[in-house]
Amino acid sequence: MLRARALHRFVGLRGRSTLISHFHTSCTCWSARKISKTFKLADIGEGITECEVIRWSVQPAATIQAFDALCEVQSDKASVEITSPFDGVVKELLVKEGEVAKVGSGLCIIEVDEEVAAELEESSPTTPPPHQEQEAARRGESTPPSQVEPEHTQKLPRKGNPHPLDPNVQERSDTLNSPVLGGNQANVFAAPSVRHFARHKGVDLSKLAPGSGKSGRITKEDVENHLSGNRAAPQPSSSKPCPEGNADAGQDVLVELGRTRYGMWKAMVKSLEIPHFGYSTSLDLTSLHEMLPTLNSHIPSHYLPPPSTPQAPPAVSPSSFYALPPPPQTPSSGQYSKLTYLPILLKTLSKAMAEWPIFRSSITPTSEFSSDKPTLTLRPNADISVALSTPTGLYTPTLQRVNTHSVYSLASQLKHISHLGRQTPCALTPAEMPKRGGTVTVSNIGGIGDGEGASPVLVPGAGVAIVAIGRAKWVWDVNRGDGSGERRLKVSVSWSADHRVVEGAELVAFVESWRSWVENPQRLIAEGV
Amino acid sequence: MFCLDILRLYHILSYFSASTRLATLPMHHLRGLSKCYPRSYRRYTTGPSLSPSHSIYVSKSTNPYFNLSLEDWLFRHKNPQEPLLLLYRNSPCVVIGRNQNPWAEVNLSEARARDIPWLRRRSGGGAVYHDLGNTNFSIHTSRTSFDRRQTARTIQEALRHYCDIPVSVNDRNDFVIENRKVSGSAYKIVNNRAYHHGTMLIDSKLESLGKVLSSPRRGMMKTKGVESVRSPVVNLREYSGDITHDKFVNGVIRAFRLDYDIDVDEEVQYVEENSTSTGIEYIHRGMEELKTWDWQYGQTPEFTYTFQQTFDLGTISAELRSKHGVILECAFACTDGAEKYSENMQRWSEWLKGRRFGFVGEDVSKERLPWKQGELATHGELGEWLHHSLVEIM
Repeated sequence: MLRARALHRFVGLRGRSTLISHFHTSCTCWSARKISKTFKLADIGEGITECEVIRWSVQPAATIQAFDALCEVQSDKASVEITSPFDGVVKELLVKEGEVAKVGSGLCIIEVDEEVAAELEESSPTTPPPHQEQEAARRGESTPPSQVEPEHTQKLPRKGNPHPLDPNVQERSDTLNSPVLGGNQANVFAAPSVRHFARHKGVDLSKLAPGSGKSGRITKEDVENHLSGNRAAPQPSSSKPCPEGNADAGQDVLVELGRTRYGMWKAMVKSLEIPHFGYSTSLDLTSLHEMLPTLNSHIPSHYLPPPSTPQAPPAVSPSSFYALPPPPQTPSSGQYSKLTYLPILLKTLSKAMAEWPIFRSSITPTSEFSSDKPTLTLRPNADISVALSTPTGLYTPTLQRVNTHSVYSLASQLKHISHLGRQTPCALTPAEMPKRGGTVTVSNIGGIGDGEGASPVLVPGAGVAIVAIGRAKWVWDVNRGDGSGERRLKVSVSWSADHRVVEGAELVAFVESWRSWVENPQRLIAEGV
Repeated sequence: MFCLDILRLYHILSYFSASTRLATLPMHHLRGLSKCYPRSYRRYTTGPSLSPSHSIYVSKSTNPYFNLSLEDWLFRHKNPQEPLLLLYRNSPCVVIGRNQNPWAEVNLSEARARDIPWLRRRSGGGAVYHDLGNTNFSIHTSRTSFDRRQTARTIQEALRHYCDIPVSVNDRNDFVIENRKVSGSAYKIVNNRAYHHGTMLIDSKLESLGKVLSSPRRGMMKTKGVESVRSPVVNLREYSGDITHDKFVNGVIRAFRLDYDIDVDEEVQYVEENSTSTGIEYIHRGMEELKTWDWQYGQTPEFTYTFQQTFDLGTISAELRSKHGVILECAFACTDGAEKYSENMQRWSEWLKGRRFGFVGEDVSKERLPWKQGELATHGELGEWLHHSLVEIM
């Protein structure tokens, strides 16, 4: 049909008068042929059948581009902004302000280039590609590449949801989401993120019910398992190469190193001059685990978040005899309600560092060209740096004089530092990241992954050793008990140390000293922490 | 355990000294954060800076202009694929829907007498009354995964599970207990994002609510826009003696975390109204826009207002048509002996055309009233009636 029309227009070119009658736009567009497309009110979803047009943002003869605001409609209690799906010129508004438009009926007529119109016709009935592509491209500016993917999977012709702005959608379904996936989705117990994931993959959640999650919830793993077991169904996965506009399409792309990554490059090159050796073991946290509830119930009040209901003053209080100094003011970013293992591990580490002075020392910074023998600077207190991964980069703020702080105080500092680190831009100041740094660094990887061993890397200017702490898990330890074994909570720790200053046996003995504190926390009582 | 929030598998320590690190903080954002983040203020502000990249926000301000603008800013600047929750409370005010008629929905004189301002919000729906006994929630998601029943279920779960209050959701997606409303909802949908926000009556002054939401001229106006669906309301406090704003907030946060898979390290962001937050251009502009005549009154859809009065001299009825807050025309019909005033009323018609509805009082004081000299006795009544119908409606 398009061809016939094109032919007709071509024929019409012979007579000047017919040419003029076909072209409404300015004379700069002689060569481009225009076609009027009716932009229909698409299915907004949620079973809405009609909307009232509140306001038009454009008037006829205005030129608009894709994504320019077209109008605002209202249905029931939802106010919806509708943007233009293509570039063109507004020819006619079919529904006036204040009038009601039915879903599927025309909202306005937009004149588009013939080539664009042809693409729209040939595309799958579900999505107009230039629209989606532009959407993905625009979105790509502000979202990470991993999130452009879902938009692309939606682009491919498949029996999924029609795009919300698709003007070609004729029918709607009465179900709330994913009308093509059968079954009553509304009653299936699954988190919204899982539903979204399932819908993208074309999985019918009602077939998976009940799931393996809490109270029969369907989890993401259930969906993934279903997919991997169900190879027959064609999946709109990313294996299918997406058409134009995608860097992962199979072509090489040049990517420049960002500032942080380049900084890492430079530092790692420098780190090559440090000979590392590693040592891994696991610590038994069962005694700490048993102590944790008691510690949690005695968190000093100034570290606790303020209670929501004002508490009545106690009936009898020590300050009736002599007014106690007010507790130090803790910012809300340093308040917490639950203690974790990390502050306790740091405190015990500082105890071991007190016994092993080598781990309280750092290489004295000298200029590169100095020919003096290198020296170590020994500190009286234990300074421990903590690795903090934030949206703006990896930082290592330092906890100073850990040996002088209580476990509660350390927990508060950790919370505060992590809060500062996560601000954008990063709110860490030189107070938290002093030039000197710590002598030992701790990296808590257990929060990210359940690894078994790691080999962390030391960089010049950092301390003499670094430890990566894994994830605590319950294991069956056959070495304990009366031979039949016991259930113990263990966490793996992997050390790397600078072999220019630390001997292997020294590190092992140091770690054993740490272990004796961690596995026998009762010792802290005698020390009067 | 102290958890790291970005998946990184390498361990690198301060690879350059701390001071250089600070100097070379990346100026661009790595992970799709707000592109509108202003760089005008120094990096280390005294208060925590406001960023739209988090997932849970609780506003500590009770200024309705600020809260609505904050909501809109978060709506437009958060990563469109990620869910977001905002909770806030307003000092006493009335909030009407995007496309409503304030003269029909709000008892403006009652509101003014009680010093209660009224605002027009950006989402649809009906008119609601806010005060400190009412808590507002706002759940934002990507447009494709927006499901108003799911968002309602999250709030319902918060109330049932964490606050022990058995609410149900009716077919209009409102929360009710035994057929009495405890909440009203509204929605906004744009290109790539959508939100469901609503009220929750915890311990609100229902008497004020009743007074300011009943406009005396409601029956006299036929509006093209959305009319509020009136329902009997009740406070949650009637069902649970210990329900408070904080309890509700905490319950919603917990339910939201669970339902939307929020990372456990995502902390609640408490937003204050201070120079940092109001310094954000978008928020500042939004707060100003909410107060302009163009937004407050100029967004009113077309409506017809009929009013009439029978005097000793006859009956005069008027039919006034207004759109976008401006009087399009006002046709007077004089009957039962009042026909002789038709000419005068015609002059009134012409005079009213094009003036701002509700604001003719200002013009009246500046201009001469359009009636002929010497007809004062009857004009006293007429004038009073017109004054009552066209000026005192505010």
